[in-house]
Amino acid sequence: MTPVDEIAVRMGEIAVSSAPGEVLLSIGLGSCIGLALVDQRRGIAGLAHVMLPEAIGGGGGPAGKFADRAVPELVARTSALGTSRTALRAVLVGGAQMFTLGGGGAGSALDIGVRNEFAVRSALSAARIPVAASATGGDRGRTIRVFPGGAVLSKEAGGAEIELMPGVRA
Amino acid sequence: MTALSSLQLDALRELANIGSGTAGTALSQLLGRSVDISVPNAVVLPLAEAVEAVGPAEQEVTGVAIPLAGDMDAVVLLVFPVDDGGTLCGMLGVEAGTEDAISALGEIGNILAASYIGSLGAMTGLDLDLTPPQTVTDMLAAIVASVLATRAAGTDTALILDSELRVEGEECSLSFLLLPEPGGVREILARMGVEA
Repeated sequence: MTPVDEIAVRMGEIAVSSAPGEVLLSIGLGSCIGLALVDQRRGIAGLAHVMLPEAIGGGGGPAGKFADRAVPELVARTSALGTSRTALRAVLVGGAQMFTLGGGGAGSALDIGVRNEFAVRSALSAARIPVAASATGGDRGRTIRVFPGGAVLSKEAGGAEIELMPGVRA
Repeated sequence: MTALSSLQLDALRELANIGSGTAGTALSQLLGRSVDISVPNAVVLPLAEAVEAVGPAEQEVTGVAIPLAGDMDAVVLLVFPVDDGGTLCGMLGVEAGTEDAISALGEIGNILAASYIGSLGAMTGLDLDLTPPQTVTDMLAAIVASVLATRAAGTDTALILDSELRVEGEECSLSFLLLPEPGGVREILARMGVEA
């Protein structure tokens, strides 16, 4: 394998790439969701590290933090690299329930991980972007790796790396 | 959360200092060994940088999360490298990696949090209770981010009060974190007379 440049996408951040040799990476997704949008044909990919379902009361801060703002932003950022919305496929990783800690505002009776996944899927559905694959739920943390060439990999804590979406690893 | 002044951060650091001192004494009594306590960090960071402040994102750690109830909304989080958690269990005569080990680490978390929170309550007059500990072994980033997410709806920053306790003569250390929700931080500062 050729060496790759890892671009860390941390809580609330968004990154996009069309450069072979780069990989977008979110390490240790717990209740957060790593949302990848990939255009395999053109070799364009983006990754958002979503923390919470929706921005309530204006909810400032980075667009990647909330599912409802992250999806349109990710579409805009990948489009700017030359893809079109209809060419994008989504892959979701994360949304685990690590703890039962309460908090999180309205609807907090439900686990944040579950609500995050629901909100991301709703926003994708509103944008008419199909979900090609997902590794979500459960109680283990996960790491996502997204190659602009199209491959999306997921690894659970203490587990092996699996190829969620087959594609070029470059 | 808006930026805190250096005076406010000093006040929080002092609080963490006294809290972790009390927790260190409790750990020392529990183990019958000396425990070193680091000078605590009090930092306000953008959420994206909060995980790195605690440790390497990918490191496998055991986390004991203890949500607080009462006058302040916060979560106490103890983080040990997996091997150090095992060493700690060994000192208590509990086999590492077993169900008993998980409850032993939860109980250690409980004892340390109770002493830390007890001194915090005594200094601020806040009435604080512990809820039962939850123990998870996973990637550090997944543990810290999942705890932060529960209190992150209205803020883009995290206040982290971080103290390190180290058992003398052993490869055994743990981080003790207090992660208050923004309203909780304001409440503490107001009680200490250093509100903005």
